[in-house]
Amino acid sequence: MAEPLLELDHVTSGYDGQTVLRDISLTVAHGSVVTIIGPNGHGKTTLLRTISGLVQPMSGEVRFDGRSLRGRKVHEIVALGVVHIPQGDLIFADMTVRDNLLMGAYLPAAHAEAATRLAEIYTLLPTLDERQDQIARTLSGGERRMLGIGRGLMTGGRILLVDEPSLGLAPLVIDQIYEVITRLKNDGRTILLVEENVGRVSELAESIHLLDNGSFVWQGPPEELQLHQEILETYLGG
Amino acid sequence: MDTAIQILVSGLTLGAMYGVSTIGLSLIWGAMGMLNMAHGALLTIGGYASYAAVINLGLPMWMGLPAAMLVSFVVGIIIYFMIIRFMYHLEAFETNIIVVTIGLAIFLENVVLKIFGAYPFAQPFALSKGFYIGVVYVRYQTPLILAIAVFLMLVVAWLLNKTRTGRAIRATAQNRVAAELMGVNVGRVFAQVMALGGLVAGVSGVMISSITTLAPTMGYDPMLKAFIICVIAGLGNITGALYAAFILGIFEASIQFFFGVRFGFPALLALVILALIWRPYGVFGRRVATRA
Repeated sequence: MAEPLLELDHVTSGYDGQTVLRDISLTVAHGSVVTIIGPNGHGKTTLLRTISGLVQPMSGEVRFDGRSLRGRKVHEIVALGVVHIPQGDLIFADMTVRDNLLMGAYLPAAHAEAATRLAEIYTLLPTLDERQDQIARTLSGGERRMLGIGRGLMTGGRILLVDEPSLGLAPLVIDQIYEVITRLKNDGRTILLVEENVGRVSELAESIHLLDNGSFVWQGPPEELQLHQEILETYLGG
Repeated sequence: MDTAIQILVSGLTLGAMYGVSTIGLSLIWGAMGMLNMAHGALLTIGGYASYAAVINLGLPMWMGLPAAMLVSFVVGIIIYFMIIRFMYHLEAFETNIIVVTIGLAIFLENVVLKIFGAYPFAQPFALSKGFYIGVVYVRYQTPLILAIAVFLMLVVAWLLNKTRTGRAIRATAQNRVAAELMGVNVGRVFAQVMALGGLVAGVSGVMISSITTLAPTMGYDPMLKAFIICVIAGLGNITGALYAAFILGIFEASIQFFFGVRFGFPALLALVILALIWRPYGVFGRRVATRA
C-alpha cells in the first residue's frame, strides 16, 4: 500500500459536548478512493467536517501528509491541500458561476493558475462553461452540485472530501455526477467519498467503511461487502 | 423655474449627504451582517480628525480629508481587534453586536466630548465660495459632496466586484462556511471590511460636518437617515442606497418647500413605512428565497 496521505488516529468528535464520532481510525492512501457509507445522522458529515477543521476533534489526531491538523484553522487546512466539497448547496448563490469558480482559486497558489484550471474545469464540466455568466441561484440542483465540485477542484487540493454528491438528485443526474467522480479517480486523484448507499460507490472505491452510530462497524473492499448480505440489510436496509 | 432649481439644489445636497452617510453602514451591513450602531460615532471621529489636523496641528486645509481617512481607518481596525474578533463566530452575533456597538458609540462620543468639548466648531475642510444658478446660490461644497459620494460608491463597488479581496468579501457575506472552505480567512475579511467601512465613514463625516457643524453628537442624525436609506434600498445594496439617497433627498426638499420644513422628516418616515409594506425586502432589494 502506498503511503497514507490522510490519517485519522482514534478520533472522537462532536458538537458542544455531544459526541458524534467515537474512536475513528482511517487511512487514505495517495491516489486511492475511500468511501464512507452509512445511514443519515450517524456522523458521516461530522467526520468530513472534523478533517477540514470546521469541527475540532475532542481527542485523537488527524494527520495530513504527515502533519498534524490539530489547532489549525479551516483556511490553513485548505491551504495545505484539503478540499472539502460540502453537502447540499453551499455555493455563493448571488455570484455568477464564473465568480463561484474563481472563489475556488482564492488562495495565492491557486490564484496563479486560475486561468488554466478554469479551462480544465470547463472541459470536464461543460454545463458550467455554458452557464459562466449565470447567477448561481438560478442553477438546477444537479448544476449546483457540479458547480460545488468544480469550485472545489479550482482550489487544486491534494485530497477531495466529497459529501453525498448524489443527495436529492434525480438518478440520471446522479449518473452524470458519478461520471465526473470516476474521471477524477482515473486522473489519479485522492478522494474520500461519503454516501448514504453502497450502490453508486462499490465500483469506484478501493475500500468501504460502514459508519453506524458514530463508529465504523465494518470495513473492507467493496467485493467483500456484497458477500455480507446481513450487514447490508442491518445497516442499510438491503 | 427658480423654485424647481431651489428644490433640486437642496434636494441634491440632502441626497449627497444621505448618500455619503449610507455607504459605510451599508458596506458593513452587507458584508458582515453587522448593524453598526457606532457608525454615527465613526462619522463624528472623521469630522473631528479633519478639524484636529487642520486647526490643532496646523496642517493645510486639504490635509483634513486624508487625516480623517487615516484616523477612521485605524479606528475601524481597532474595533475589529478589540470587539468583533471575539464575537463574530459566536451565536447571535447579529443581535449582540447591535448592543455592543451602541455602547461603543456612547464611549466614542464621550471620548470626542472629553477631547474637544461640546462647543460646536466649523469644519475647516470646506469650500466657502459658491456660484449662482439663476437666483439660487450654490456653495461649491455641494457639488464637491455630490462628486465625493458618487466617487466613494464607485470605488467601493469596484473593490467589491472586481478585486480578489472584494470577491472574498462577497463570498463571506453569502456563505461564511463555504468561504472558509475556499481558504478565506474570515477574520481577516472582517478586519478589511471594518477598515474600509471606517475609512468611508471618516470621509463622510468630513463632508457632513462641512455642511452642518462639528459636534460630538453630529453622527446621530445622518446615521438615522442612513438606516432609513439602507432599509429602502435593501440591506447591503450600495448602488441602490445611492439612488435611494437622492430620491429621498429630493422628496424631503420638496415636502419642506411646499408644506414647511417641519414636515420633511415625518414625510420621510411615512414613505419608509409605505415602502416596507409594499416591498419588505427593499425597493431596490431583491427577494431572496431561503431554503428550510
